[in-house]
Amino acid sequence: MGILLFITVLLIAACGLIYELVAGTLASYLLGDSVLQFSTIIGCYLFAMGIGSALSRYIDRGLAYRFVWIELLLGVVGGFSSALLFLAFAYSQGFQFLMYALVIVIGVLVGLEIPLLMRIIRDRYHFRDVVAHVLTFDYLGALGASLLFPILLVPHLGLVRSAMLFGILNAGVALWSTWIFANQLARTAVLRGFCLVVLAALCTGLVEAKRITQAAEDNIYADEIIFARDTHYQHIVLTRFKDDIRLFLNSHLQFSSRDEYRYHEALIHPGLSAIAAPRRVLVLGGGDGLAVREILKYPQVESVTLVDLDPEMTRLFTTNPMLTGLNHQSFLSPKVHVINADAFPWVESNTDSFDFIVIDFPDPTNYSLGKLYTTAFYKAVARHLSEQGLMVVQSTSPMFARDSYWCIAETIKQAGMLINPYHVYVPSFGEWGFVLAGHHEYRTPTSLPPGLRFVNVKDMPALFQFPPDMAPMSMPPNRLNDQVLVHLYDQDWKDISH
Amino acid sequence: MGLAAKSEPQIAGGFVNESFTQGHLLRDRAAFAAANRVEKIPIVIVGGGIAGLSAAWRLHKSGFRDFVLLEMCDQAGGNSRWGENEITRYPWAAHYVPVPGRKAIYVRELFEDLGVLKDGKWDERYLCFTPQERLFLYGRWQEGIEPAIGLTRSDRDEFRRLEEQIGAFRATSRFTVPMEVGFSQESANLDRISFADWLSEHRMNSRVLRWYLNYCCRDDYGATLDQTSAWAGIQYFASREPEEKGPLTWPEGNGWIVQRLMERIGSFVRTGRMVHRIVQSGSGLKVYAGDAEYHADFVIYAAPTFLAPYLVEGMMPLKTFEYSPWLTANLTLDRLPKNYGSDPTWDSVFMDSPTLGYVDATHQTLRTHVDRTVWTFYWALAEGPASQNRRMLLSGNWGYWKDAILHDLERVHPDIRQCVSRMDLMRMGHAMARPSVGAVTSPERRSLAKLHGNLLFANSDLSGFSIFEEAQYRGVVAAEHALARVSGSKRG
Ligand SMILES: Cc1cc2nc3c(=O)[nH]c(=O)nc-3n(C[C@H](O)[C@H](O)[C@H](O)COP(=O)(O)OP(=O)(O)OC[C@H]3O[C@@H](n4cnc5c(N)ncnc54)[C@H](O)[C@@H]3O)c2cc1C
Repeated sequence: MGILLFITVLLIAACGLIYELVAGTLASYLLGDSVLQFSTIIGCYLFAMGIGSALSRYIDRGLAYRFVWIELLLGVVGGFSSALLFLAFAYSQGFQFLMYALVIVIGVLVGLEIPLLMRIIRDRYHFRDVVAHVLTFDYLGALGASLLFPILLVPHLGLVRSAMLFGILNAGVALWSTWIFANQLARTAVLRGFCLVVLAALCTGLVEAKRITQAAEDNIYADEIIFARDTHYQHIVLTRFKDDIRLFLNSHLQFSSRDEYRYHEALIHPGLSAIAAPRRVLVLGGGDGLAVREILKYPQVESVTLVDLDPEMTRLFTTNPMLTGLNHQSFLSPKVHVINADAFPWVESNTDSFDFIVIDFPDPTNYSLGKLYTTAFYKAVARHLSEQGLMVVQSTSPMFARDSYWCIAETIKQAGMLINPYHVYVPSFGEWGFVLAGHHEYRTPTSLPPGLRFVNVKDMPALFQFPPDMAPMSMPPNRLNDQVLVHLYDQDWKDISH
Repeated sequence: MGLAAKSEPQIAGGFVNESFTQGHLLRDRAAFAAANRVEKIPIVIVGGGIAGLSAAWRLHKSGFRDFVLLEMCDQAGGNSRWGENEITRYPWAAHYVPVPGRKAIYVRELFEDLGVLKDGKWDERYLCFTPQERLFLYGRWQEGIEPAIGLTRSDRDEFRRLEEQIGAFRATSRFTVPMEVGFSQESANLDRISFADWLSEHRMNSRVLRWYLNYCCRDDYGATLDQTSAWAGIQYFASREPEEKGPLTWPEGNGWIVQRLMERIGSFVRTGRMVHRIVQSGSGLKVYAGDAEYHADFVIYAAPTFLAPYLVEGMMPLKTFEYSPWLTANLTLDRLPKNYGSDPTWDSVFMDSPTLGYVDATHQTLRTHVDRTVWTFYWALAEGPASQNRRMLLSGNWGYWKDAILHDLERVHPDIRQCVSRMDLMRMGHAMARPSVGAVTSPERRSLAKLHGNLLFANSDLSGFSIFEEAQYRGVVAAEHALARVSGSKRG
């Protein structure tokens, strides 16, 4: 009997700590600044526990009955806390409010647990044993939880399911308490019925947890999904592993926060630094604001127009603290104008001229996207280039999709421009290619903005050298009425993924 | 029980652009109000289809301004009419022009004028985007309409032999677009047998090959293999050598060309004016339409030729002009049906269906994202006697035809009823000339096609079959003929 009681203590202590860790981890994943998140959450949580303990003195009757209910409530609130927070993050502006509210509710309930339990069992043992044992097992439970959480739970279960699992333990404690304290309880059958309902709900939650993050394709992502959303236009997924945040659009990797600086520095600086006095810049695609971050390193640039299809995407990268931490709040700059529109019709109807144009679209995986890689499109874009202007095109990998890369280069050439293909190594992508194009001969720049981590004056000419395994291939251009690129791209990637 | 198993979205719609009621007034020689004013004008064009509009374009381009075009409907365009809703513009009938070959000089000139052909290059935005066509067969889609899967060795052999035959005909240069350029009596014997018989003679009996050829004849002529002359069947294949992956097409189909033409000559076009009488008077002609009587030196008659005997005083009834009845539908889709692994194409055809499938009006959009669209569904009522099909076409109500179309689509898109919110139908009893055996070479047709006198026939049906290039060619040459003879002082 005794040992069972103390195992109960161990379990409820573990549950309490897990909920706190889940909240802290989630907050630092989604909001960034983990020191701030963890300290405020632990502070709130401990404070709420204090309130719980203080409140316990107002409970004088039906201690066991109330204990069972507290366990059940904890099971529900704690168990679903993580899922609720994910949903709040994806669908509402009230994430932080909900998070602190949940932490406080859980803290108060956990604060009530131990005092009540000690009072329930104080007649069975000497008081000093009760205190010693209960606190020992309480701390043991906390130790277990704090070790399990990073080693087993986060990597294998993820945050949503870890919380649910411990919710189940809380509800389990409630159920078995109806036997342990049977003599102090009336109508145990009804209580047990409630316990079973809560257990059933949590077990369903555990099994269906994937649906909550909306990522039925969970297993295609290596890391934990911290955000998933079907917008009108695409499926946006963010994953996180330690410091590495990755963005996937329709399951295609767009960047990894560890090495995106290589990609974006290479996308922007070889072109933009080569223009004498760039004032107006256009970005087509690039709704993550990372290219804009690089462009804003040029004080001469007076305006940046960004055209991206998906308003949810640009909103996310404007308002979410974790993501604005990556793009340095580039969308909030007064120089930046975000336009949510389909690029091709926009380019056709707009008449502005730009000194530098960045074309950063998803790869040509289908005929719809393929339209944005055609001679017709590049001709339409070229009409927006100022006399000395340059444009740069993300052009897939010259290594893994060599045919596709040189097809894009040929297409730009046939649209009537001089081309300068170059490439860069981005660890999470592999060897990646770009094409710079304009109406004049291009020379690599001799100075760059300060503070770049990858692109530098000395090594830049090397980016324009292609070793034999990526060397130019003779390819037909991609045209609206003859989209050879989509076939080539399909074939290129099939060849390497068998 | 009164309980519907699944609530099905309501589909709105009705018959639109009905013009046969007006045609029947002519046929029944109804009484028309007398004219109360006279307008003297050197050239009157009757009919604002492609032929009439092209005649006007040619007159205008030569600097000639003393003409009017009288069109029966409220909207010009005839078989190249188009419509528009909040999603897109869409065609009502003609929806493409094959990339014109070198011999179609007038069509090339037109497209240069419209900016479609620049420095010998076709503007990509007007060429049909990839992927162009697909065929649903054996429960799946394939790219392209010519069946490519499930062929036996002998099927392939027959396709190859036909290809060789066509190549030989092409080499004779007798099959051209427009047909007048190359037409020669030497190929007249091909007009004496049906395409079906010609195929049998050449031991081409493959079911798949015949399905395909039958589809082509239904699509271009509204006629089956047996209803099409061998000459016309061969003309379909031997007259073209595309220099570019096409065809030319626009969201509103050839309605795009109509709009560009109207931008140029719209001020000379009077719509809602049905010509009901044309009479020779002295050296000129009197044309009656609405409240006016036009006194013209030349009339370019670009309305369907079969109507002419009802309008032109003293004209003998025609014996060799046959027309195919057609039904077209425009379906508004509030969401796209599931695609089952195939990229949506411009044209989608179903094997062994009596219909011709559908064309997607938003295919030519430059947008990358489309979630609503309009499909134009085509149905040539070819099988069986045309008169009987015409009666059937007119007797079925909107609900009947709507369901018939949905049944056909459902084979391929099981969720189609959940997608469609509106379906408008257009019935055309005499939609297009049919090149039956003997039609192309008939003396009656050849004589009307020869421009003489002051009444110049220009409708595409004079070619024996109706396509854009024939209509444009006949309009242009009729205009040139009139221009050359109309008194010089009126030029400019
Ligand atoms: C369903 C369908 C699909 C087609 N698709 C294609 C295609 O994709 N590509 C292609 O090349 N061709 C297509 N065609 C063929 C089409 O007929 C030609 O392309 C072309 O539009 C014919 O032009 P037309 O001027 O010769 O005749 P019509 O278009 O028939 O023009 C005759 C005009 O005369 C008017 N009219 C009639 N009577 C009178 C009167 N008494 N007074 C005044 N006006 C009158 C009519 O209203 C009409 O506007 C299609 C035809 C049909 C029916």
